[in-house]
Amino acid sequence: MKKNLFALAVLVAAGLFGLVMTGSQPALAHMEKHTPDQLQVFDQVFMEQVKIGDLLFHGDPETEKKMGTKLSTTGMACAMCHPFASDNHPHEFPKFQQQISKFATLRDMINWCIENPNEGEKLDADSPAMKALEAYIYWSNRGNVLSPGTH
Amino acid sequence: MRKNNRDQKPGMTRRDFIQKSLLTGAAAIGAGAVFSGGLPFMNTVRMAFGAEEFTFAWISDTHLYPRALNTRFIEKATRAAKDAMNAKPDFLIFGGDLAQLGRAEEFQVGEEILKEVTVKKYFIPGEHDWYYDMGEEWQKRFGKPNWTFDHKGVRFIGVDTISRGPDYWTAKKMTPEERMGHMATLDGSVAGPWAGVGKDQLQWLSKTLSDWPMDKPVIVFSHNPFYEYYPPWNFWTRDWREIQEVLAPYKNVTNIHGHTHQVLYNEVGPNNMRSIGMLATSWTWPYAPEGLPKLTVPMVRVDPGEQYDGVGWGKLTVTADNVSNEYMMWRKKADIFCGDSVSDCSPGHNPILSPRIADRP
Repeated sequence: MKKNLFALAVLVAAGLFGLVMTGSQPALAHMEKHTPDQLQVFDQVFMEQVKIGDLLFHGDPETEKKMGTKLSTTGMACAMCHPFASDNHPHEFPKFQQQISKFATLRDMINWCIENPNEGEKLDADSPAMKALEAYIYWSNRGNVLSPGTH
Repeated sequence: MRKNNRDQKPGMTRRDFIQKSLLTGAAAIGAGAVFSGGLPFMNTVRMAFGAEEFTFAWISDTHLYPRALNTRFIEKATRAAKDAMNAKPDFLIFGGDLAQLGRAEEFQVGEEILKEVTVKKYFIPGEHDWYYDMGEEWQKRFGKPNWTFDHKGVRFIGVDTISRGPDYWTAKKMTPEERMGHMATLDGSVAGPWAGVGKDQLQWLSKTLSDWPMDKPVIVFSHNPFYEYYPPWNFWTRDWREIQEVLAPYKNVTNIHGHTHQVLYNEVGPNNMRSIGMLATSWTWPYAPEGLPKLTVPMVRVDPGEQYDGVGWGKLTVTADNVSNEYMMWRKKADIFCGDSVSDCSPGHNPILSPRIADRP
């Protein structure tokens, strides 16, 4: 009897611990199904960032001004070496990156390009401009197989 | 030059490669003409009798900005001019895109650099030279965009693939700066299929060749290639079928073009016209996601941190029976071709791409 009570207490304690850890509801990714309107909004938010990233990537001066960035001082823009965001292969990051001699993320590599070929000012890793550039690069390369660490 | 696996490329057997390498080969390295071993390969194509041995030089795609903005492109164009003169060419062909945004100041920088070249210079335009003022400044400085001359048994022809782009600016009331900006964006969609020769120039080309024996060598220069490689980046000339038709009766035609900024080789049309893509001095374009000719042995991916990597000029030697192109690429390492690993090779890195979004209506 004592053994059973002890087992029940353990189960209750484990259940309580689980509730505390996961909240009072089952651990789903979201509460309710997304509505078509919500999905449209999510897509709009994403594509807006893709467009900003596209403009930054192509050296659009108005977008640079708006975002407070100086991605190049040489007249070079990202797209001059990467038309259609080619040869960025974001699906291979993170990986060891020879140019920077370290294990690097895509954001590290974006900053390397800004500072070296473009002689611009590097971005904060979490800045809106960096996120927009990343959004454009990922969007342009969507459909590729995720293959981190490869070259 | 180290051995690589280019003979194992899909669609090309080792035997094919050996046969084709006699025609296409690889390229020589321009870094002080120092080779790491083995023999330099060249784009060697056989020509008919009649040509006397001589050398000429090609420089293109310098994309010059004003001096205050960008000195890298100026340094590289200057180096190309000096190197080309050291090769003692009979003449120089400038293959277009002297300027980046078509401004007089940019042309001025280019003319000052090219003063180094004291042999006769021939110019064809690139799109970056033209669409700020519709070729006014370029023509004032360099004359007609198409021309012909004979030299030591070869007929040379310069063709304009630039000036006949469809009007994308009037209806949208673009400023000259805006028009030029769209044209200067390789992967933009607004300027559309601008590369073309046009019916009037096709007639001119036909007439220009009408008194030339069909078995004697012809070398045609253009900014864009005379076949369909990758239209979204205008890596083509839109009326390439008609061009190939006009050139078809001539048995020894070589087209030498700029614009693509990469090692490129093809044979096209009923007469197997040779097509050789030349290096830029400014920067390299990656290979397009599709359409790379099977006869091209691709160049290695360049190091974007090394400004002299992957760029250079072209030295062409005409002998009694062939014309050879040496890619005078300024690269520290002598191997300029894709290696055994896909990471060395630009074409392997563009499996799926999407056209840009921000310039769509």
